[in-house]
Amino acid sequence: MRLPKPLVIAIVLVVAVVLQTTLFAQIRIITPDLVLLVVIMMSLTRVRPELVLLTGFMAGLLVDLLGSSILGLRAVVFTIVAYMGLRTRQRAEIGRLAAAIWAGVLSLIGVFLLVVIGTLFGQTSLLGPDVFRTVWVVALANLVLAGLFAPTFVRLVDGDPAALRFS
Amino acid sequence: MLDNEPRGRILPTLISLIVVGVLLMTFDVRVQGQGVVGVMRTGTQTLVAPLQKAAAVVVNPVADMVRSLTNVASLQEENRVLRAQIAEQQAALIGVQDDLARLEFLEQLYDLETAGDELGRTVALVIGRPGAFDSALIINKGTADGVAVGQPVVDTNGYVVGTVKDVTGGSATIVPITGDRQAVTVIVGEQIGTLVSQVASSEMRLEVLDAREPILAGDRVLTSAVSASFPAGLPIGEVIGDSAPGIDTLTTFVSPFVNPDILRLVVVLAWPPDPVSITADDRVIPVDTSTTTTVASSSTTAEEG
Repeated sequence: MRLPKPLVIAIVLVVAVVLQTTLFAQIRIITPDLVLLVVIMMSLTRVRPELVLLTGFMAGLLVDLLGSSILGLRAVVFTIVAYMGLRTRQRAEIGRLAAAIWAGVLSLIGVFLLVVIGTLFGQTSLLGPDVFRTVWVVALANLVLAGLFAPTFVRLVDGDPAALRFS
Repeated sequence: MLDNEPRGRILPTLISLIVVGVLLMTFDVRVQGQGVVGVMRTGTQTLVAPLQKAAAVVVNPVADMVRSLTNVASLQEENRVLRAQIAEQQAALIGVQDDLARLEFLEQLYDLETAGDELGRTVALVIGRPGAFDSALIINKGTADGVAVGQPVVDTNGYVVGTVKDVTGGSATIVPITGDRQAVTVIVGEQIGTLVSQVASSEMRLEVLDAREPILAGDRVLTSAVSASFPAGLPIGEVIGDSAPGIDTLTTFVSPFVNPDILRLVVVLAWPPDPVSITADDRVIPVDTSTTTTVASSSTTAEEG
């Protein structure tokens, strides 16, 4: 039995949020932004682009609602990153390493936007003591995770075992 | 660099969502997290908290294992230090027990009763954090356990952590003082000042208006009796640099005792202990009312600065 695509996306997002706020909250040396990564990898799937943007917005809103920062901040950032992902997805289809680097670069842009827009809206708490280290660690962790799991993720969401097979 | 293939309504959708997002941010700033936004946050946290609690049961041992592996080289030395600390604490405990016995004897001798001002405490487990760029902590206790918005939170040593920002039936979100824009009214020696968090730093800035004497490195910073958010006398941190008063102000930096990133257990204080009775007392004694009101309003201004 195949689950409907929106349900698969919702389940993946909730799992990402729960893992992000529990597992990766405890292990501070490995700090990916799992929800951002899911949004980025969503742009590799065959889901309609408008739905990918909406997923990015809703995912960001969910994280905003669970955190202490301003509501809508991550929603805007994740939507922008999803758009950039959709517009550059062909770079990720070259190979596994390209997909990893592509996700890493988009993650770097995402966390940078988060810090900049957050600061413009007075969210100085985003600029913690290790902000510069955290920006790089998040991007690198997302790069590694994307390299490992991007094809599996795309196949899971698309329900197609042949999706994103690198030549 | 970008793909130029047409993508239907993708650009209008992007612009619409960004506009909605910016409106949400503006609205949140205007209502300061209250009203509809507060209800939305509480509702979402109520839904996700059970999942986080369930995940924490599985995740915490895994996290402990990873942490142990990363610290394996220092574990032996840490064990030795901890054994020494246990021996010291046991000796101190015996001393405290002697003091308590003597205190009890003296209380009986002078027919003293306890003031009844012991604060209620709720010990809670940190089950999560919203993300790498959010210093907030999510704990496994909520309104069902007596936790309420605004209550002060300390660590197991009694050092100040922060305050409760949002609360659901079974969970709460704590904002540490190091990540809070709201200042804390503190006392150093006999001087009252405000402690504010800083951008890209774990240190906090201490400002003392009407400073009369210098503040030295190592001086302890405690919560002040005029604080609207914390009970008096809770340790926050220590001053890390000597500073002498300028014309009448003094600025220096404080290293907090607590690092929120490594906290596993926190204690939520039921403070004020009984707001209803305090209000009733204020009505009975008009002189105290004016004093209390003046102090409370001045401290609120300071803490919102």
